[in-house]
Amino acid sequence: MTSWLLLAIRAALGVLWVWAGAVKITDPYGAVLAVRAYQLLPGDVAEVVGHLLPSLEIVVGVALLLGVLTRASAAVSAVLFGAFVIGIASVWQRGILIDCGCFGGGGFDPDAADKYPWEIARDVVLLAASLLLAWRDGGRWSLDARLFRRTPEPDPQPDPHADPHADQGALA
Amino acid sequence: MTPAPHDTRRRNLRIGAVAAIVLVLAVVAGYVASSRQDDPVTEAAGAPAVGLVIGPDDADHRVVVYEDFLCPYCGELERQTSAELAELAQAGRVQVEYRAFQLLDHDYSREALLVYEVVRRQGDDAVAQRLHDLLFEQQPSESGREFPGRDELVALAVEAGADEQQLRDTLETAQAGIWADEVTEAAQDAGVMSTPTLLLDGKEFTDGRTVDELAENLLAAVR
Repeated sequence: MTSWLLLAIRAALGVLWVWAGAVKITDPYGAVLAVRAYQLLPGDVAEVVGHLLPSLEIVVGVALLLGVLTRASAAVSAVLFGAFVIGIASVWQRGILIDCGCFGGGGFDPDAADKYPWEIARDVVLLAASLLLAWRDGGRWSLDARLFRRTPEPDPQPDPHADPHADQGALA
Repeated sequence: MTPAPHDTRRRNLRIGAVAAIVLVLAVVAGYVASSRQDDPVTEAAGAPAVGLVIGPDDADHRVVVYEDFLCPYCGELERQTSAELAELAQAGRVQVEYRAFQLLDHDYSREALLVYEVVRRQGDDAVAQRLHDLLFEQQPSESGREFPGRDELVALAVEAGADEQQLRDTLETAQAGIWADEVTEAAQDAGVMSTPTLLLDGKEFTDGRTVDELAENLLAAVR
């Protein structure tokens, strides 16, 4: 039962990430502007983040959909949602009215203040879902189960997926 | 035959490492492709002026400011920089070109640009500069409900020193709209997608987290 739930979460998060990244990657300049609109990062860092984020989102999404290095990918997903929550909370607190740029767009939005609480709530839920995956694993139909073999000997700390923490290091 | 646990563990690690490298390479490839697609706004030296030019041609630095009269960050930038840039221009340190255009889909944005463009094309740069400064000093809030209409804008232009009758006559014609479209298209062709967009010596200037920092760093760069 749990394995089906994990699969469902993995699929939902994966689709969301691929979608969020795909609408942004076709408009690199817009993505940079959306990051700049938060007025959090210095100009050149904002540019790097603006270019990096869409491709990172797509790769995390594909990895979750396929169930490759699921726990590490889910950890990256959780870090991203955590960063988004901080970013949105920060503009809200500073009274900056911008479209979060989560799915393309970005820049000034007169109704932004009404949307911030919902966007934060949404990202907190997605953060929790990512943490669940990072804690457990990809559940059913994940490629991890095919790629990695269980270690047959009784391990003092049984870990079905080799050493996901090493993978996290490599991804981060 | 079951492989030894040691071998299985090594195999898993190897596969994990390969998968991680593939994913990281995919991210890097996307990043590189994205950076290449994005060409920042640039301009060759000696490009013809399309806006209001302040300061001598042989100044040490050349600054271009793309702005919309309604954009609040443009107003903020103007508050922080216009007085000092004008001084520096007078001292021959910098040449500033203000390229006002319509970025925002708003009637006020359009109306202010129409009035400003007509005044600017009437040929007195000092009047155009005063109107430019006045428009930003008295900038309405983007999220407000009340916006100055044409009469208030014309009154502002007269305050700046424009000839009211000549201004009103031209505003009646299609010429005003043609001029406004011209500067707006020029900005679009240059790839300007947000305001304020700054060029310093032909390269896009983005050094700063906030508009205030941007203003401060720009002034520091040309002082």
